[in-house]
Amino acid sequence: MLLRGLSWLVLCQLLGTALNALFLSILPGPIIGMLLLFVFLLVRGEVGEPLHLASSSLLKYLPLLLVPPAVGVMAYAEAILADFWAVVGALVLSLVLSLVFAGWMMQALIERQQRRRGKA
Amino acid sequence: MSLDWYGAWQAVTHHPLFGAGVTLGAYQLSIAVYERTRWVFLQPVLVSMLIVISVLMLCGLSFAEYRVSAEALTLFLGPATVALAVPLFLNLRRIRQLFWPIVLTLFVAGVVATVLGVAFAWWFGAQDFILMSMAPKSVTSPIAMLVASQIGGIAALAAVFVMITGVVGAILGPSLLRACGVRNHAAMGMALGMTAHAVGTARAMQESEECGAFAALAMSLMGMITAVLLPLSFVMLS
Repeated sequence: MLLRGLSWLVLCQLLGTALNALFLSILPGPIIGMLLLFVFLLVRGEVGEPLHLASSSLLKYLPLLLVPPAVGVMAYAEAILADFWAVVGALVLSLVLSLVFAGWMMQALIERQQRRRGKA
Repeated sequence: MSLDWYGAWQAVTHHPLFGAGVTLGAYQLSIAVYERTRWVFLQPVLVSMLIVISVLMLCGLSFAEYRVSAEALTLFLGPATVALAVPLFLNLRRIRQLFWPIVLTLFVAGVVATVLGVAFAWWFGAQDFILMSMAPKSVTSPIAMLVASQIGGIAALAAVFVMITGVVGAILGPSLLRACGVRNHAAMGMALGMTAHAVGTARAMQESEECGAFAALAMSLMGMITAVLLPLSFVMLS
């Protein structure tokens, strides 16, 4: 079960890599693979048990898989320290503004939709 | 008889599984710490990263050597990224209730989140590769790393920026939203999931089930549209 689901995931990743090399060089292979799997699920209308098992098992360990690439920051310690306040300031300010904006916009749109439905 | 301690040490630290071993150990340690304390800023990825970096520096190993010896783990990152399509598909069922509010907020606020990050960093004088690593800061790490390296940023920096964004969003998010009069749980979830990805979604689930569900949906959608539109718009702009 697990292996069958895993094979699907690897197949999508490899197809994505092929498409990336052939004509979609602006999108990374795994992202094309994700889109392919998503379209496949939309067409099929449900997630099969093997795929569900494989994806939830892999995603459970996603943080572990992210550690090795994240360790790469050690090679850029100087660059980060040089721009430390710019980085922290930009991250925090843009987060605060966009978070509030997204929440406010969504709430306003929901209220508008409810008012319209109320009238109709 | 004298034992060759130095030789054994060298054999261990340069073994092709040393990196994977250190990573596994560091990860389990940081998970244990996180579960015991439940402090949101002790994100396992960040803590493991710091532990691994310290071990590498103590052993005098370079990142290049570590990367090769941790390849057993990184190999699965591609299939795991593909697997993100499954939660995206499952979360999508919820979109029908509030189709237009979700789609409009996603595009407008998604652009605002991305542009603001890059604009502030540029205004504060950060270097170009930092700007490009900053652009995908609101989406889940595997996607952010791929997108960052695609547009000329650095995957590792993107991962760290993503984690910082998620932690700050989860800590400040709910009280900030309430202070600004956003009390609708679908809207709070949408805002947390869109801007603070998985960490924000975990926080949203503590608010209410509805809040968590919308955060999960927003995170998936934001990840997908960023993955597709950011590299495309970068090609068009440059």
